[in-house]
Amino acid sequence: MTQLFMLDVPENTPIVAVADQDPHVTVDKVGPYFRIAADASIVIDRRATGCRHAVWYSSVAGLLRSRITQWDKDAMRIEPT
Amino acid sequence: MSQLPHTVRGVDHVAFPTFDPAGTVAFYRDVLGFPVVHSICAAGWGPEEHPDFIHFFFDIGNNDRLAFFYYFGYEPPQRGVKGDVYARFEDDIPDFFVKSRHLAIHVDSDTDLLEYRRRLDNSQWPVELQVQHETIESIYTHDPNGYFVEITRALRPVTPQEDLDANLTADALVDVVKGPDVSMAALLTRKAELIVERAADWEPAQR
Repeated sequence: MTQLFMLDVPENTPIVAVADQDPHVTVDKVGPYFRIAADASIVIDRRATGCRHAVWYSSVAGLLRSRITQWDKDAMRIEPT
Repeated sequence: MSQLPHTVRGVDHVAFPTFDPAGTVAFYRDVLGFPVVHSICAAGWGPEEHPDFIHFFFDIGNNDRLAFFYYFGYEPPQRGVKGDVYARFEDDIPDFFVKSRHLAIHVDSDTDLLEYRRRLDNSQWPVELQVQHETIESIYTHDPNGYFVEITRALRPVTPQEDLDANLTADALVDVVKGPDVSMAALLTRKAELIVERAADWEPAQR
């Protein structure tokens, strides 16, 4: 299972909200972190999040059994390892 | 996490050499308005060929001080084409590294930040860059010695969870640099393990 952690701070919440729009994605909390999980890939469209680059490129706190295969100005793609 | 008593009280002073004391006083005292608060005029002594020197200090707020050494008769080591008067680098050294070492001075408000911007912009050392990072806004310039100076304000207070996150990052980094795969991917994997181990119980512990 793909698992991505993001810290619960105001700058990150739009990213989590966009990820949560995918029906295959579940979001819950581990302490002050959002855990974004899916059986397959997680893809987040940066423009949909409205995030500035500095936020976007520092938003990932942790990856469990997952790897980043795309992290650019367009999107973030996390896949299971 | 460290449980040692934490009793230090900020920066007493940080010291840099200068070969341009006139420019340095003009920049920090006359342009930025940082008072000169202390100085030492000392004859050289000791086993080395130590030159006579002036050690002078500017108040940078909060009782913290920025100090300079001026050595009489000591010429700057002329090596490299970029960097500052203390550290020179050849052209093949990337700017991200050359600019990594810098001094950031805190202000409380947008009004204060813009006032320092105004002072710099009216001088020979105008603001080179004004940037909003994630949670701070900063202005940058180089002082007469080539030192990279930032003045910054917080856009919001740092939250307690960011302190937890910083500690997990530090622990993950220390673990990863000891291992065979020193990479961002390895760090994010190790940090996820630490989040699972330690973050779930964090909120109740804060109450």
